[in-house]
Amino acid sequence: MDLETLLSYPWRIMLPEFVIVITAALLSLLDLFWKEQASRRPLAWIALAGIGLAVLFLVINAGQPVQEILYETFRLDGFASAFKLIFLLGAAIVFLIALDRDFGQQLPYQGEYYYLILTAVLGAMIAASSADLITLFVGIELLSISSYVLVAIRKHNLKANESALKYVISGGIATAVTLFGFSYIYGLTGSTNLFVIQERLSQGVNDGLLPLIALALLVSFVGLTFKLSVVPYHMWAPDVYQGASTPVTAFLSVVSKGAGFALVIRFLMVTLQGMADSEMILWENLAGLLVTVLSVLAALSMIIGNTLAMRQTNLKRLLAYSSIAQAGYLLVPVAAGIALLQTGEVSASNLFHIVLFYLAAYLFMNLGAFALVQLIGKETEDIRGLAGLYRRAPGKALAMTLFLASLAGIPLTAGFVGKYYILMGAVGANLYALAAVMVITTVISYYYYFGLAVQMYMREPEVDQPLTAPSSLNIVLSVCVIGTLLLGLLPNLALDLIQTQFNLLEVFLPYSH
Amino acid sequence: MIPVSWYLGLAALLFCLGLYGALTKRNTVIVLICIELMLNATNINLVAFSKLGLYPDIAGQVFTVFSITVAAAEVAVGIAILLAFYRNRRTVNIDEANVLKR
Repeated sequence: MDLETLLSYPWRIMLPEFVIVITAALLSLLDLFWKEQASRRPLAWIALAGIGLAVLFLVINAGQPVQEILYETFRLDGFASAFKLIFLLGAAIVFLIALDRDFGQQLPYQGEYYYLILTAVLGAMIAASSADLITLFVGIELLSISSYVLVAIRKHNLKANESALKYVISGGIATAVTLFGFSYIYGLTGSTNLFVIQERLSQGVNDGLLPLIALALLVSFVGLTFKLSVVPYHMWAPDVYQGASTPVTAFLSVVSKGAGFALVIRFLMVTLQGMADSEMILWENLAGLLVTVLSVLAALSMIIGNTLAMRQTNLKRLLAYSSIAQAGYLLVPVAAGIALLQTGEVSASNLFHIVLFYLAAYLFMNLGAFALVQLIGKETEDIRGLAGLYRRAPGKALAMTLFLASLAGIPLTAGFVGKYYILMGAVGANLYALAAVMVITTVISYYYYFGLAVQMYMREPEVDQPLTAPSSLNIVLSVCVIGTLLLGLLPNLALDLIQTQFNLLEVFLPYSH
Repeated sequence: MIPVSWYLGLAALLFCLGLYGALTKRNTVIVLICIELMLNATNINLVAFSKLGLYPDIAGQVFTVFSITVAAAEVAVGIAILLAFYRNRRTVNIDEANVLKR
């Protein structure tokens, strides 16, 4: 292959990824030649600039038709662009939380910290826009391995060691399970390309291979639930969220989870789309089975997450259980999507827009809550640390109330609108039982979210000094408040924006030369 | 020629052994080895399918190369984390990792 053919490929569709790679490489070099004792904070600003540039290229690329390069493994479509925007936004907010000066001083290996976040985001971006099992796997592993190191980075802290050890072991098992499922899918189709798999799976069903296909898809999905932190792979979340430093926890709860959803939706929807055209009874069995499994897992995640959260006294553990429940809510539109795939109505529905909307809402409300945890976490991570926050810092207490109300799903907040859309989606796909579980567990969740609010307004503070935040945390809190309110008050505007800018249904569009 | 089902049987057996070991063993080094066993089971699957599958094709062997590389990276990080844990706790037993609240 000569240089001319090499340059003739449309490399510009990978520009956001290139920017992140180059920034990460630049940061690692700068970190090497930086003065030993000097603060590494300027590196975080370089990383933020890199993320800004990547967002710019992403937006420029967004309107283009579907394109694939690198032997059709890397794919640019509206679905990938929309999710990548969420990841980059989440990473930028995580950098701002990490810029908190006190946090930086306790942190060894500050430079590594910054570029590992970038490589983790890169993994998420590659996974979101891959049309091939191999790139999908490599992307998710880049994300996972970077996250293991990020959790372990405070290596003299026993809690961090322990949570990293649990994370790497459960992650390793999940990887092996996913790969085992992938190997069967490859064996049944002879290809790693998702669209070829889609074609050959429908042939395979004709040839009577349905049990094997169902097994392969289920095993792969179970492995992938590790990234979503839903049942059956949720038990790592509380330990890891508690042991990791707060910005890393925030990263895991939003970006890593978002990448998991991008992956699961693309993988399941594209491989199963062959059934949309056929009216075979066998496909209906397979779809019915998958919808049942996904609904049960979603329901269990909501029940387990919301009930166990009530008993927690550690703020980060409580938010971990809450994030398991939130992942359960997000799994509902995926189950509904598979149910509608069968009738071919999925292209007329806006289920993917709902997932994206709820993920954006979750980004703002959850990262806002974690920014506050970072602030009070300097004193204690117990929920009593919130006591009397209204007297110590009224503005921050109000902001936290908004985030909690949104996580609980109170009207006029982003979380409420997102949950309403999810419920409508579930009812539209005739998943009434799942919708009922969702409503009931939401009511249960009010208990612990309001428990936190009671601490802030009714309890006496242990230290009665005003609480001041560094400017970077104030910026994060204001951005998150504005985001939560905007998505809550003008949801149609946001949905219209998603619909006009990103055509999420392009995920189904095969690429033609 | 050995039929494909033998390879698949071997891989399934290895995978189950690895999973059993990873879930029951106390020593973290053994747990990490068991995870390797599970990953190697998938490699056997991929190579067997690449030669004897429904649609024989080179992609399976390419996939294996990727999976070996990624598994090596993952275990390197796992061992590093285990070492950090050992230096603080003076033990490699996973059930003694119980500082965090249950």
